[in-house]
Amino acid sequence: MVKKVLEQLVALQDLDMMISELEEVEKLGFEINGRQNLEEARTELVNKISRPLLYSYEKLKKRYKRAIVPVQNNVCLGCFQRVPTSLSVRGRDDTAVYTCEGCGRILYWLE
Amino acid sequence: MEAKDLLNYFNEKLFISDLKATTKEEALIEIVTEFEKLHLIKTKDILLEMLRQREALGTTGIGKGIAIPHGRTTVVKDVMIAFAKSNAGLDYSSMDDQPVHLIFMVIAPPVEESNKYLPVLGKLVEVLNNHSTREKIMAVKTYDELIKCMSEV
Repeated sequence: MVKKVLEQLVALQDLDMMISELEEVEKLGFEINGRQNLEEARTELVNKISRPLLYSYEKLKKRYKRAIVPVQNNVCLGCFQRVPTSLSVRGRDDTAVYTCEGCGRILYWLE
Repeated sequence: MEAKDLLNYFNEKLFISDLKATTKEEALIEIVTEFEKLHLIKTKDILLEMLRQREALGTTGIGKGIAIPHGRTTVVKDVMIAFAKSNAGLDYSSMDDQPVHLIFMVIAPPVEESNKYLPVLGKLVEVLNNHSTREKIMAVKTYDELIKCMSEV
C-alpha cells in the first residue's frame, strides 16, 4: 500500500518536473499546446494522494528541486548522507513513509 | 554556456548528411535508428514514443527550416545531439508551415548531475536564430564542416 503511495508521489514529481521544464522550453520559442493534458493528469494524480502527504510534498518541493528521492546503498540521493541501516530495513517494509533525517526529503528504496 | 560547448554533445556517427525521410515520422525513425545502430540505445521504441509524445504537445519544428525534436528518456545516459540534413526538405508541420531542412535531435537522461539539457537546448536555439549560421549549416556536407561551422559562431 505504502509502495503504491510512493509510486504515485514519484509520478507526481516527474509530472511536476515535466511541466516546469516545458515552461522553460516554451520560453525558448517552442510551441506547447498540450500542457492542459498534463495539468489534468496532475489533478487526477493529486486526488489519489492523502492530504497530509501531499502537504509534505508541496512544502519540500518549495525547498528542494526533488522532494522525493531514492536511497541507494544506504545513502539518501538528495543530500548524500548515510541513512541508518535500521531505517533502511524499516523503509523496505511496506508499512510507512519515511523521511531523511538529514534533509527531510521523502525516501523510497530502490529494489 | 558558449556556442562552442555544444560541440561536446555532437557525435560524428550521429551525423546524417542526406536524410531520406519526407515526413516528420519518417525523419524521427531514420534518426533514432542511427542511435540503435550505434548501440547508444537498446531499442528505438521507447525513444521514438517519447519523441512522438513530445510532438503531440506541440511541434518542435521552430520555423526557418529548423526542427529540434527533444526530450528526456531513460534509454540514454548523457545529453546527445544528432544532426540530420534534408536537402529536399521535409514536411514537419512546422510553426511556419515551411519544409524542414535541418534537424537537431537533443536527447537527455531523466536526471543529469551537470543539468545541461536546458542550457544546450537554449544555446542551440540561439545559435540557429542567426541567419548566416543557418545558411552555413545548410551548406555542410561533412561532420568536420558542421563542427567548423559551430565552432566559428
